[in-house]
Amino acid sequence: MGLQSLSIAVVCSSNMNRSMEAHAFLSKKGFKVRSFGTGDKVKLPGTAVDRPNVYDFTSTYEEIYQDLTSKDRAFYTQNGLLHMLDRNRRIKLRPERFQVSRDKFDVVITCEERVYDQVIEHFENRISEENAPVHIVNIDIQDNHEEATIGAFIICELMTVMANSDDLDNDIDTVLASYEHKWNRSLLHSVAFY
Amino acid sequence: MTSTTEDLRRSSAAQFFMEEEGDQTILQKITKLINDAATTIDPEVKADNLLKVYDLMKKDEVILNKFLPDVMAFQNDKNASVRKAVLHFIEEIVKRDIEMLPQLVLSIQTLLQDKSPLVQKRCVQCVTMVYRLALQWLCKAPNTTDQMQRVWSMLNNMKAYIIDMVDFEHDGLRTQIVKFLETIVVLQTYPDPESLKWENDFSLDDVPLTLKIARRRKLEEEALTVLDLMIKFHGSPHISSVNLMACMGALTTIAKMRPAFMGRAIAALEALHLNLPPTLSTSQVNSVRKNMKMQLLSLLKHPSSVEYHTNLTTLLTDLGASNSEVSKALPKDELKKRARKAAAAASEVPAKKIRIDEVAPAPPELSAVDITEAFIIERLTPELAAQLVMAGMTRLPDTMPPVFSATYTPIAAAGTQGQIKHVARLLATQLNAVGLGPGASIASKTKPPVRSTDDDEEEEDQNVAPNIPTVVLDDQGLEDEIVKGHVAAKNIKLEVSKPLSSDMRENLQTQAVIRILKAQDSAITGGVNLIRSKIIASMAASFGSKVRQTIMKYILTDLRGQLNLALSWMYEEYSFMQGFSKRAPTQSDDHKYFDNQYDHLICTMINSVINNKEMKDRETVLTRICLEMPLITEEAAALLTRFASMEILGLNIINKIITMRPPKEMIFLKVLLDCTSHQSSEIRETAISHTVDLYLREELRSSIEDHAVNYLNFLKSKQLPAELFGKSQGRLNRGWADKSWDEDLTKACLYLYLSLLPVNQELIHELARVYVVTVPDVKRIILRVVEHPVRAMGMDSPQLLKLVEDCPKGSETLVTRLIHILTDKAPPSNELVERVRELYQTRVSDVRFLIPVLNGLTKNEVIAALPKLIKLNPIVVKEVFNRLLCSGTETETYSSPITPSELLIALHLIEPEKCELKTIIKATSMCFNDKQAYTQEVLAVVMQHLMEVTPLPTLLMRTVIQALSLYPRLIGFVMNILQRLILKQVWRQKKVWEGFIKCCQRAQPHSFQVLLQLPAQQLEDVFKDAPDLKQPMLDHILEFTENQRAHIPQTIMDILMGPSNPPPPVYTIKDEPMSPPSAHTRPDLSIDIKEEPLDDPITTSFSQPAPPGMD
Repeated sequence: MGLQSLSIAVVCSSNMNRSMEAHAFLSKKGFKVRSFGTGDKVKLPGTAVDRPNVYDFTSTYEEIYQDLTSKDRAFYTQNGLLHMLDRNRRIKLRPERFQVSRDKFDVVITCEERVYDQVIEHFENRISEENAPVHIVNIDIQDNHEEATIGAFIICELMTVMANSDDLDNDIDTVLASYEHKWNRSLLHSVAFY
Repeated sequence: MTSTTEDLRRSSAAQFFMEEEGDQTILQKITKLINDAATTIDPEVKADNLLKVYDLMKKDEVILNKFLPDVMAFQNDKNASVRKAVLHFIEEIVKRDIEMLPQLVLSIQTLLQDKSPLVQKRCVQCVTMVYRLALQWLCKAPNTTDQMQRVWSMLNNMKAYIIDMVDFEHDGLRTQIVKFLETIVVLQTYPDPESLKWENDFSLDDVPLTLKIARRRKLEEEALTVLDLMIKFHGSPHISSVNLMACMGALTTIAKMRPAFMGRAIAALEALHLNLPPTLSTSQVNSVRKNMKMQLLSLLKHPSSVEYHTNLTTLLTDLGASNSEVSKALPKDELKKRARKAAAAASEVPAKKIRIDEVAPAPPELSAVDITEAFIIERLTPELAAQLVMAGMTRLPDTMPPVFSATYTPIAAAGTQGQIKHVARLLATQLNAVGLGPGASIASKTKPPVRSTDDDEEEEDQNVAPNIPTVVLDDQGLEDEIVKGHVAAKNIKLEVSKPLSSDMRENLQTQAVIRILKAQDSAITGGVNLIRSKIIASMAASFGSKVRQTIMKYILTDLRGQLNLALSWMYEEYSFMQGFSKRAPTQSDDHKYFDNQYDHLICTMINSVINNKEMKDRETVLTRICLEMPLITEEAAALLTRFASMEILGLNIINKIITMRPPKEMIFLKVLLDCTSHQSSEIRETAISHTVDLYLREELRSSIEDHAVNYLNFLKSKQLPAELFGKSQGRLNRGWADKSWDEDLTKACLYLYLSLLPVNQELIHELARVYVVTVPDVKRIILRVVEHPVRAMGMDSPQLLKLVEDCPKGSETLVTRLIHILTDKAPPSNELVERVRELYQTRVSDVRFLIPVLNGLTKNEVIAALPKLIKLNPIVVKEVFNRLLCSGTETETYSSPITPSELLIALHLIEPEKCELKTIIKATSMCFNDKQAYTQEVLAVVMQHLMEVTPLPTLLMRTVIQALSLYPRLIGFVMNILQRLILKQVWRQKKVWEGFIKCCQRAQPHSFQVLLQLPAQQLEDVFKDAPDLKQPMLDHILEFTENQRAHIPQTIMDILMGPSNPPPPVYTIKDEPMSPPSAHTRPDLSIDIKEEPLDDPITTSFSQPAPPGMD
């Protein structure tokens, strides 16, 4: 099976760092990948802990970029946010919210347990029509640049194994078990239906 | 639109000219896509093109109809993903227009049975939707057409098929089936007012009561059965993680959409929580618990779950949900509602309320748990809890299991009434499972009316954890520990998902097999020996070579004891070979492989029996194997063939195979027949006796006969046949071409034939035909060996008589021999005599033919044949005489046509020109030698008779002399004869006269009296011939008294005395007054006989060697 045979969604909270890092990495590797956030708003760290930058999911990366530049260019360049947004705007127009997406995937990768819960809840609350199975897998990734890079790499590893499986629905348990063993990470997995 | 349809029929070239039309462009595109898809090898392109085709087609029904068959043709594509694309296509069409379903349903059915599980999975997905749409279609249609009915019944078949597939070893497929089951349950049950509503929802309420082909009641019943199945599957102990997830989700969905099942769903989740499948790995347990938590929270939000909130919150707390999470999930107005409900329930029947609160769906088993639970609640004081904890401490593991620490959540509501109740319930479940506590006795009495999860769960507990009650809980959350510890313990053993090294795996596998093998006695005691044997057979047939070897070794060490096992293994292999059994995907698909396995197995088994000569009941074992194995392969047949040429046992087995296994009878008959010419007499005789038995069977007759005759015909050729040599015949292959027919080889060709002869006497003619052209050595052997069968055939055999009658030219010796054999022990029958006589008179004038039947001939015939007969070899003549005189045989019952005296007379009367005198003399001497037949009376009669013949027989006097020498007491009679001969002027016949004189010489002094009666002339002749008589006679006369002497004529006296000097009277009286003593006479007689040439060569007309016993 080719890399294109799987349609993948990578989901984090704000569709900014972890999901976008993986999105960039996977699409470079040739996967059919989309990225999403599950939060109500797009949240980015601000100059102080109690003052985050909050945006709507309707805002584009470009707009956010411009906004941050205008707020404190040096600070946001220094903490890497501008660099990240610059990358993001090259990939797609704006962050997307998973819950409103109508697209269908074979595998949904979430980057933290909270996001995983939200994704599952989302599937709980919709009725399946096509009955196509979707595997939801959570890989915990801390929300910083370094971890996001490593996370993108190990997501890519997992996806490669999955894409090479002739019958993912059948092999999923084995694939995940061997993956957990290899990376010494524990995963959460569930199956839902579109 | 009609023009468009016409255009479609035109060639694609023609279509180029109509590019300007919009429709046309679409048509062209579609055509191109389909053509491309059909010609490309890349399955991706194919699948892709099909989807593009659908996009183009969906706009126009006519186009769709036109191209539908073209697209459907791809359902037979080799590539699974193309077939999947076809399913997608079908799905889209049906979704768009359900009226197309009748055209497509057959394709769906075909694809459902696809060999690729991927396609099957996709198909189940497709059917899930189609089924729903079809049910809606039926319900909305004003009236049911035949077509609808057909479609519906096909869908029902598919449904049954899919439900069956739950047992398939394919996780992905099962996941999809769970979804299908969920759909059925939701579609075919009634909703509640509190049900979650979705657009496009469909339930039994929407099924019209008038619909005949889908009755509400039946649909609901089916849904309930399916739900049972789901719950059972959900609770099955070895369910995989992914299936479990799907199942949990499905049950939750059902509970939310059909709140009537809320209780069952929660009970099922609760049961799962208490008994997680032991096969799950640590992180899978986490995922499952996580998922369960999510599901329970979503159930908690549902208004219908109010009744179960206690259970739900307790469960959620166990799963680590925080209070805030729980309360967030509780509906806002829930508390009010709950209070209202509780009040209402309390005012009604209090007992009922308890039941509802505890376990709403309340299968009978749960009520047993309830009782125990109530029992425990009463007693679970803090003191008791403390004691339980202390008692349990000793049983805790040294180190904390990692799973426990990972999943342990502190008990939030420790010590509250609700928590005590929960602990009591956990305890009650465990106690019940091992049959302890007050509820257990009830449970054992109550027969569960329906199978439920709890039922299964309990059984499971009993099997897996009988020692549970010894583990003690405290009220500080040890109930978690028991569950988790339980899971952890199992995890340590199982770890399914982590691949073992292949060595390790093989090793474990082998050890497991060995354990099963060793468990024979316990299996027998437990009454599951059959199952055990089935298990071993399946393992042997489907696992790797190491397992095979292990089992093979086990069986071979005691094949006699493990025969049934061996056979069931054979059958297992056979089913694989024939494709009756489904193969595991890991097994090679190579058909040859399975052929070989089977072949190899049976050959090993057979070989082990063959090579183990000390084996007890060897024959029984081998017979069973050979008769019961499902198929005798060529290899096995060859093995048995070799065996048969070495041991009698092999032949016996082959014989049984021929009788019991008709399909192979010809092959093995050939083997058996080949062994009938084997060098070893043991094997040969066994083979022949089997063959003769088989010969009685009509269908084998001709083959056996052909073989026998074929071998017989080998004798015709001077060249030795190759068939007689080689290992299978026990003769060396080397140098056979230089050999010539010897006794062994000749007999080898004859054995079978001769054995068949008594059974089918017609075959005798074949022998005669072959006999004619064989070489002399072979002829001789044939004559010798033919005795036994011919005797068995008997004299009355019409075929033998016919042969005698026909007597092919050249086979006279054979026929003679046959007649000889027949008459050896019994008098010839009239028919035989008749035939021989006929033959003798018309065609073969060899008198030897007559010998065997002499006794059947008339007296005259015998007499007529005598001259020829006595000319034969003396031994033969002796034989002839024996027959005629009935001597030499024990059975004196039959009579000769001729009496001894008649025979002797006849001999004397043979005309000299017919036979030489000395031959006759020899013949008569033979008569004299038989003193039994020729007593003195007989001889007297003979002499008497011969006396009267005129002219006197030449040999008369010889006979008289001999008779006299044999029986001296005949002297008086002989004297009488001599006197009468004088009266007959015996001197006229020279020979007789000479004899007369001789006789007188011998018989002196008695003959003097006779001599005195001769005329003087003759007396003188006597003295001239026998001067020695003269003196004694004179002496004799001188003894006479004067008176007596006076009676003697003077002429005689003159002759005696002589004219010149009468001899002086010598008084040596009584010198020889008696007849000569026999000791004295014998040499004389023998001289007489020796005078005749004894070894006169017999003149025969045969060029062939004389028959045995004649030469």
